[in-house]
Amino acid sequence: MGMDTIGVRVAGISKRYTHRVKGEIYAAREVELDVKPGEFLTLLGPSGCGKTTTLRVIAGFEHPDAGRVYFGDEDVTGKAANQRNIGFVFQNYALFPHLSIFENVAYGLRVRGQAGGEIAKAVGDVLALVGLAGYEQQFSAQLSGGEQQRVALARAIVIRPRVLLFDEPLSNLDAKLRIQMRQEIRALQRRLAITTIYVTHDQEEAMAVSDRIAVMNQGSVVQEGSALDLYHRPATDFVAKFIGRVNSIPGRVAAIGADGPAIAALGTTLVARTLPAGLATGSAVQLMIRPEAVAIVAPDTPGALAATVVSSSFLGEKTEVQLRCAGEGLHAVRYNAGPAEPLAEGATVAVCLPANALTVLPPADREAP
Amino acid sequence: MSAAATAPRAPGAHRDPLVAGAAFALWALLALFVVYPLAMLLARVLTDQGHFSLAGLAAVLTDRHQIRAFWNSLLLGTLVGLVGTVLGFVFAFTAARGRLPPWMLGAMDASVLLPLVSPPFTTAIAMIFSFGPRGLITYDLLGLKGVTVYGLSSTLFSEVITYFPIAYLTLRPILAGIDSNIEGMALSLGASRWRVFRTVTLPLSIPGLANAFLLLFAASLADFATPLILAGNQFPVLPTQAFLQITGMFDLRGGAALSFVLLVPALIVFLLQRYWVSRRFYVTVTGKGAGTAPFDSVSPGVRNLLLAFCLLVALAIAYFYVLLLYASLVVALGANHALTLQHYKVIFTDGVKAIRDTLIIAGLAMPLGGLYGVLLGYLVTKKEFLGRRSMELVSMINYALPGTIVGIAYLIAFNDPPIELTGTALIIVACYIFRYGPTGIRATVALLSQIDKSLEEASQGLGAGSGTTFRRITLPLILPAFFAGLGVVFIRSMTAISATIFLVSVSWTLITVKILENITELSLGPAAAFSVLVCVIVFVVIGLIGRALRYFRAPGAASVTSMLGG
Ligand SMILES: Nc1ncnc2c1ncn2[C@@H]1O[C@H](COP(=O)(O)OP(=O)(O)O)[C@@H](O)[C@H]1O
Ligand SMILES: [Mg+2]
Repeated sequence: MGMDTIGVRVAGISKRYTHRVKGEIYAAREVELDVKPGEFLTLLGPSGCGKTTTLRVIAGFEHPDAGRVYFGDEDVTGKAANQRNIGFVFQNYALFPHLSIFENVAYGLRVRGQAGGEIAKAVGDVLALVGLAGYEQQFSAQLSGGEQQRVALARAIVIRPRVLLFDEPLSNLDAKLRIQMRQEIRALQRRLAITTIYVTHDQEEAMAVSDRIAVMNQGSVVQEGSALDLYHRPATDFVAKFIGRVNSIPGRVAAIGADGPAIAALGTTLVARTLPAGLATGSAVQLMIRPEAVAIVAPDTPGALAATVVSSSFLGEKTEVQLRCAGEGLHAVRYNAGPAEPLAEGATVAVCLPANALTVLPPADREAP
Repeated sequence: MSAAATAPRAPGAHRDPLVAGAAFALWALLALFVVYPLAMLLARVLTDQGHFSLAGLAAVLTDRHQIRAFWNSLLLGTLVGLVGTVLGFVFAFTAARGRLPPWMLGAMDASVLLPLVSPPFTTAIAMIFSFGPRGLITYDLLGLKGVTVYGLSSTLFSEVITYFPIAYLTLRPILAGIDSNIEGMALSLGASRWRVFRTVTLPLSIPGLANAFLLLFAASLADFATPLILAGNQFPVLPTQAFLQITGMFDLRGGAALSFVLLVPALIVFLLQRYWVSRRFYVTVTGKGAGTAPFDSVSPGVRNLLLAFCLLVALAIAYFYVLLLYASLVVALGANHALTLQHYKVIFTDGVKAIRDTLIIAGLAMPLGGLYGVLLGYLVTKKEFLGRRSMELVSMINYALPGTIVGIAYLIAFNDPPIELTGTALIIVACYIFRYGPTGIRATVALLSQIDKSLEEASQGLGAGSGTTFRRITLPLILPAFFAGLGVVFIRSMTAISATIFLVSVSWTLITVKILENITELSLGPAAAFSVLVCVIVFVVIGLIGRALRYFRAPGAASVTSMLGG
């Protein structure tokens, strides 16, 4: 749309609330974010981890107790929401019930004192863009959830905001519509190249729409990176378990070799990827491996471990297998290219845990804050 | 404006001078017109020549006649509460479960609205016309001689007709809001319709029934007009005793003491209703309701029975009003049925001052009371200031107390310097604003609490300042509450008497007081003509306000029509 795209920087913002039960809590604690111009960043985390609070501080709806917010080079911390030129999409859409769809979308333009002709054109264009041409005279109560969502989106982008902010915009839609809308949001954001910060607790949604994801837990950002990074190289137990499913195997660092650390686990020694800083030979660790990386192989494969099949469920495209290996439960997923022999319960199989799929993390109890 | 001030309820937000000023002004008004009169009333009851004394109260509490009035008031309130709640429930149940065509529902609403917005004495006059010594029914139809219409049963009957609509309006949304799937579920488990009603519908309605009972009890306890006409000497009640003590015996202190005795049960009922019963609803009334029942929750036979009963009650109400109209158009009902406009001539000559005064007072109280309601309601829900919570409670006091108490309190407080208002229109206008404006407050608070905070934030996020947001988003959404406030203040200004009977003077009088004078002088024709006139004015104004509401109310904004009943 030919406007200057700017980045957003969140520098050490903190926000405290007095909670009725828990007392004084940090809803956001020294949050640092650096969103590049045109980038789509998602704040991902469980409910109550401080995503909304962080987003509302960025929008200017809340004033942080500490820290600053920059739009480009400009420090907007002291500015009210109506001075920041943002587009905000609320979880409940917050459509004005007493205004028509046209007037809802036109609202921000009227506030800016634009001429009637310009407004009519801009509103018409943006409604066409979100696929709602012809809905101008309807009222929000007459619209379906998906349509309301599109109006909220149109209302946010028509003012050509510097930053687009979404707070769980899809959580009130059914599963099918959620997938469709997230694709539309992503496509629209690409097209308009507006710097976007998106909040969700749904990891799949986050992976589908974002350039980059910041995972939050208990008010802090615990890891940032692409979906690929976070999935394959989680920095903490929390991230590994929050994004996707994972097997967690207790172990101990046996040696540090040239091709990676050797970890004593499952009654044998497994070679893993890099060792996190601060761990040395003898340290207790956790080995993480995704179920789809647990390979069920021929019994004579070198380095394979013996395991017993506890249960096996055929789910169409894949089969979920629950194994027991050296006293530890192990979850494996086999993708079914064609009809394969089902694994009998109680059968003994061989499994292989490839080194490049094994992540070493500090033991879980070191995580607790 | 700084960021902190627009951030909603940010800790340490700067005080908005406009908010602070408005809050201060409202507190000053509440102190003057709510707290001060009540304090003066208590002082008058509990002191004697500057010293604390219970002598005045003791005089009342040892007088056998007055003790009887106290128990009579409680008895009447309980009976009206019970009978009215049952009647209201039957109406509400028929409306919610009877699968009635829309026109029938409309007729039901209309027949119920009529008593709610009528001037006082309306049913009382009709009762006398029908069941009095020369009554159309007792004397002409049944040929009974020497019957007396005065006493408990006719007061009870008249009050039930007048107040059961409150129970209907309270119970109907509750019955409509019960998820019909719950009843369907019970039915599918093999329960009979009667069993479903007994084990599901009725238990779920209990908080609503309790609420309706308390509201009716309070209304009856406070009712002054009906017992004044119908209760007679044999059945004294507190409000009329207080009135007679002051106007008949010129004993202001005794009247104040009697009204204090009335205050205790009134306060208990108010607190019970507001803080206990209304928090125990199982059904959240969303306004949408479950709509029409998808299965036959009543059998055709029962449905017809219910319908017939409601029709009978509606006909009785209609009969009363037709009778009233007829009485205003004949020379003397019961004696000479020649048609005449004489009574209207009388009210437009002798009574024209009362009409003019009432319209001026109502015309002043309406906009002021409407504004007061919206402003106070907006401030207490949306702004932070000192004493925000207590402000709402204090603003409800004059609304919750029986009019007799408020009237006597005003009479005591504003009769002498420093603030001498007796004899002015202002004292009556102020009484109406602070007594009936709270309807607008409650409507505003109810509407605002339905409006999500994110609506105002969405407006801010789109670049609007707090002024624009208020004007373009908040104000249009609370406009229905403003109109509800206007309507109620106007209607009550036209029809109220219990408080203002103490406040009228030679310079300023009211139609309702004139009606009472006419009844006491036994000129029932002009009384009927006055009542008809008030009904007509009230209906015209309700029509206009309904029109304005429809014009301003956008689809999606909450409905407040039922609040007109409060
Ligand atoms: N206005 C508030 N007052 C008190 N506590 C709040 C307020 N807003 C949020 N919190 C608390 O702050 C924490 C983070 O909330 P939030 O940012 O809404 O989380 P999320 O959006 O990730 O679910 C929660 O524990 C929540 O209870
Ligand atoms: Mg949230």
